Amino acid sequence: MLIGIVALLLTDVAGLVIPWLLKDIIDLLPGRPASATLLLYAGLLFAAALVQAMARYGWRKYLFGPSRKVEFDLLNRLFSHLLTQDALYFQDRKTGDLMSRATNDLRAVRDFVGLGFLVCIDSTVVILCSVGLMLFIHPVLTLWVLVPLPFLSLLFFGFIREIGKRHEAVQAHLAKITARVQENLAGIRVLHAFVQEDNEQRRFDDLSREYIEKNLRVTRMFGVFTPSLVFTIGVAGLISLWLGSRAVIADEMTLGSFVAFNGYLMMLSWPMMGVGYVINLSQKGLVALGRIEEILAAKGRVADPAGAAGPRELGGAIEMRGVSFTYPGSGQPSLEAIDLSVEPGQTLAVVGRIGSGKSTLVRLLVRLFDAGRGDVLLDGIPIREIPLSVVRDQVVLVDQAPFLFSMPLRDNVALGRPEASREDIEHAVRAAGLEPDLARFPDGLDTVVGERGVSLSGGQKQRIALARALLRKPRILVLDDAFSSLDAATEETVRENLRRFAGGTTRVIVAHRLSAVEGADRIVVLEHGRIVEAGTHGELVRRGGAYKRMVESQALAREWEITLL
Amino acid sequence: MNAASGENLQHRYHDWQLLARILEFIKPYRAWVALSIGLLFAVSLLNLAGPYLTKVAIDDHIKVRHMEGLDRIAALYLAVLVLAFVFQFAQTYLMQYIGQRVMFDMRTRVFAHLHKMSFRFFDRNPIGRMVTRVVNDVEVLNEMLTSGLMLIFNDLFTLVGIFCVMLYLDARLTLVICLVFPLLYFATQAYRARARDALRKNRAHQAGLNTFLEENLSGMATVQLFRREAAHARKFERINGDKLREDLRSLHYNALYLPSIDLFSALGIGLLIWYGGGRFVQDEVELGVLVAFLQYLQKFFDPIRDLAEKFNIIQTALASSERVFELLDTPEDVAETRPRDPGLRVQGSVEFKDVSFAYNEAEPVLKHVSFKLEAGESLAVVGATGSGKSTLVHLLGRFYEAGSGEILIDGAPVSQMNRYDVRRQMAMVQQDVFLFSGNVLENIRLGNPVLGPEEVVAVARTARSHPFIQRLPFKYEQEIKEKGSLFSMGERQLISFARALAADPPILVLDEATASVDTETEHEIQQALRELIRGRTSIVIAHRLSTLKHVDKVLVLKNGEVAEFGTRVELLAQKGIFHQLVRLQSKSGPADGKGSA
Repeated sequence: MLIGIVALLLTDVAGLVIPWLLKDIIDLLPGRPASATLLLYAGLLFAAALVQAMARYGWRKYLFGPSRKVEFDLLNRLFSHLLTQDALYFQDRKTGDLMSRATNDLRAVRDFVGLGFLVCIDSTVVILCSVGLMLFIHPVLTLWVLVPLPFLSLLFFGFIREIGKRHEAVQAHLAKITARVQENLAGIRVLHAFVQEDNEQRRFDDLSREYIEKNLRVTRMFGVFTPSLVFTIGVAGLISLWLGSRAVIADEMTLGSFVAFNGYLMMLSWPMMGVGYVINLSQKGLVALGRIEEILAAKGRVADPAGAAGPRELGGAIEMRGVSFTYPGSGQPSLEAIDLSVEPGQTLAVVGRIGSGKSTLVRLLVRLFDAGRGDVLLDGIPIREIPLSVVRDQVVLVDQAPFLFSMPLRDNVALGRPEASREDIEHAVRAAGLEPDLARFPDGLDTVVGERGVSLSGGQKQRIALARALLRKPRILVLDDAFSSLDAATEETVRENLRRFAGGTTRVIVAHRLSAVEGADRIVVLEHGRIVEAGTHGELVRRGGAYKRMVESQALAREWEITLL
Repeated sequence: MNAASGENLQHRYHDWQLLARILEFIKPYRAWVALSIGLLFAVSLLNLAGPYLTKVAIDDHIKVRHMEGLDRIAALYLAVLVLAFVFQFAQTYLMQYIGQRVMFDMRTRVFAHLHKMSFRFFDRNPIGRMVTRVVNDVEVLNEMLTSGLMLIFNDLFTLVGIFCVMLYLDARLTLVICLVFPLLYFATQAYRARARDALRKNRAHQAGLNTFLEENLSGMATVQLFRREAAHARKFERINGDKLREDLRSLHYNALYLPSIDLFSALGIGLLIWYGGGRFVQDEVELGVLVAFLQYLQKFFDPIRDLAEKFNIIQTALASSERVFELLDTPEDVAETRPRDPGLRVQGSVEFKDVSFAYNEAEPVLKHVSFKLEAGESLAVVGATGSGKSTLVHLLGRFYEAGSGEILIDGAPVSQMNRYDVRRQMAMVQQDVFLFSGNVLENIRLGNPVLGPEEVVAVARTARSHPFIQRLPFKYEQEIKEKGSLFSMGERQLISFARALAADPPILVLDEATASVDTETEHEIQQALRELIRGRTSIVIAHRLSTLKHVDKVLVLKNGEVAEFGTRVELLAQKGIFHQLVRLQSKSGPADGKGSA
């Protein structure tokens, strides 16, 4: 960076020498100089230009280079930071908006850092030196020539804030467009199924049309700005011509000095325009930086314990004491005063209606977010005091709608243990009942999954998710309605394999089909975020409460089925 | 990650072709463009007037110490300045306006084109990459139009203008200066080839970066739960590093080329002083001419420098436009030629005649599928995962085009109908429920935006989703945050039921829709289902026999072939796969949800 600044200064100095040389030459010419003298001056001029060229290479490389590196670092930091945010953070934000910040806004920051910084230094140096030399040539003329310049500052301060505001509107709108496109593409299957192409296009047209207007609002401001700068310099040039020529005629300065004076004055026009440019860039850049910093300022809510002296191994015991949780922005708690405990190796089943809080409850076990009140304990230790890596390594959640990455199946399965051996992976794949499907994929385990696994069926995705969970050999396995898309035969196989493969593992099962939870050591029934019943299948059926009613409704349905046969 | 590196690095189009196609987009605004160019021309001329007036002042007044007329020159100068100001503002605004309009046209066109693509296209193309096309690539093009392409005219005018003025002032001096041109040409060629390569690669890496970012943002929970943070951060850094490398490479070329122009400029001035100065000494040239030459020569290299600066923008824009055009040139997989018939409402009989289909040629998904469904009849499709059930209904909606065979609705082949008409005849409840931003109300009436709030409530009641919507803080006005992650899977499913009901189509397709609804809700859904399929041709894909209770016919798919087809009673009598499936599910125990219901 320092090299760059030095090089920039050198460029400017060399640039200032050139008009000076020209001045000398012009003053020399009427004296009919020898050809050798002319050649000498030409050579000097070329030498000055050579220095300037080399220095210019230097600053380009060492001033712009760092700005690229700043961009690189900032983007890496942004990504790493996003990786520390919990599930609640992403629930509140559109992926498209985050993307827009990481790309469009970042670019604006880069331009500001690179060009903005450069133009700032450059302008200052050129203005100072040019004005200095002009003063040296003819002080009075200089003062006259500089008269129009204060108007410029007036112009600046009137415009700066307004331009900034309008830029912000443009950037925010671009993020909106990004988010809309992103959502449209993610939900394209639904939109097409409901023939919403025309509606969406209309909505997008409107959004894009607004964008034109917002951009033109900036132009209207900025379009006045740059020509004003040129105009002001032009007026200065006019004064110089008008008064300067008189000065030459009055023998106050030589013709050569007059030409040099004009040369320096013209040099001022670039930094003047540069100032306008910098204002534009810096407005854009600062707005963008603000939007990026907003991300960086968000603290990761799920953090590692301070001191990190927690256990390395988990035994598999789970306990919840008075746990409550409310989603931000939601009026009702999703969980309220949950108490439960599971011994190592036992199976806990969680049942309940849609939206009763089952998924929220199991998400607390893997710290996708933390409980609002109460404690979640593993092996009797509050989960917040156990290193996050230990929790996530040994408590594994299999979700109903698993996310797969666009990479080979093998890598998806080995996601949690990239170093896993071939045998281990194949073992996990077999246990998850994926083998028959594998034969149908063109490259077996090396088949690349389409983005988000679109080329796979729901059942296949669920089994891949199970395989990648099993491969991690968890102490606690959490199955959140993980087999909902499997057909009966496959599900039976998978459950059987699971009993064999993960016998000693503590299991937490969320399920709608009661057949899946019957054998559990303990069943809790959730209703509106509260535990209304708890016990074994036998106890709960005897009690005759909500669970019994669920069983009965399923049994009743079954009898209908039989009569229908 | 294949998608990240899958960015196409070869060029399919020639630069001139691309420029020509960009011009196509500008064509509708040619009157404005002409005006803008005219203004530019005027501004360039006015900018040239300054040095000329200075020359006149020196030669005619200062040197001969002649004061009269100087005032007039000054007044002329002022007029030039005012005009330049006005023209330049008008020109800037006009250019922005044209740029914005062109960008609008292009963006909406790309967006519309994406909506014409079939599922096959979306299966293959990552979302991040397409977002880059619609948003970033078009934005870059705009930058070229406003600050690049138009200003090139300006630069060219200035270049030609200066050259002409110089020729007029002194032809021999001008020709001497021309000696610099070959050097300039070679430097430019060398720069062009290299910078182009670096810029293209840079763009490709940028798109890869976006894809990776999008995927990770969407799958953040998975990344965290599998503790891939460090590994993915590393990978991100690597792609980012690739991009940085190309960035720095193009910067390097630029840093080398631009100063070389300065050098050529100095060389030109040196020649001028040496040769021109010599001729002045011999009284062949006037001093004013020499001074004007010096000023013009300095101005002469500005546009060249400027063009080189813009080369970056132009190349980046060409690379972007190439990707945009590539997308626009992707033909519609399901070509649509027939006009729409907005009044069409079919009876709803559905027939598959010897239909086969394969996503990739090596492995057929459906083989010679034939069956017939009368209007109003309901069909359950059962089969193992991957047996082709979803594909079957996707073909019916022409989301993919059948490989061979015919699909008929009301006896007419769907391939002969407008595909939007076909889709309007059916509502689909798909496996993954997608909720859009907006509120619950808007999501339910997605397929039928004219539905009033009361009607939506009625629909939601029938779909049994009214009770939980009532419990939301803002009820039907509840905003859906990022893809509806506030809702449980079951709740989302219920909303999608209501959505299908709101569309009120003659044909209903339920794709594994009951899979994640809990037992009690399922019971309610069964009631709703009975209502829903009455009088409608319905195709229900289910893994549970519960759903089959109300249907007329069952189709068993095995490895893409029809294993069994007929009424339930017929199939049970056959004692085939369907029979086994029923036995297996009822065997699972008295409280089994699947064998039940």
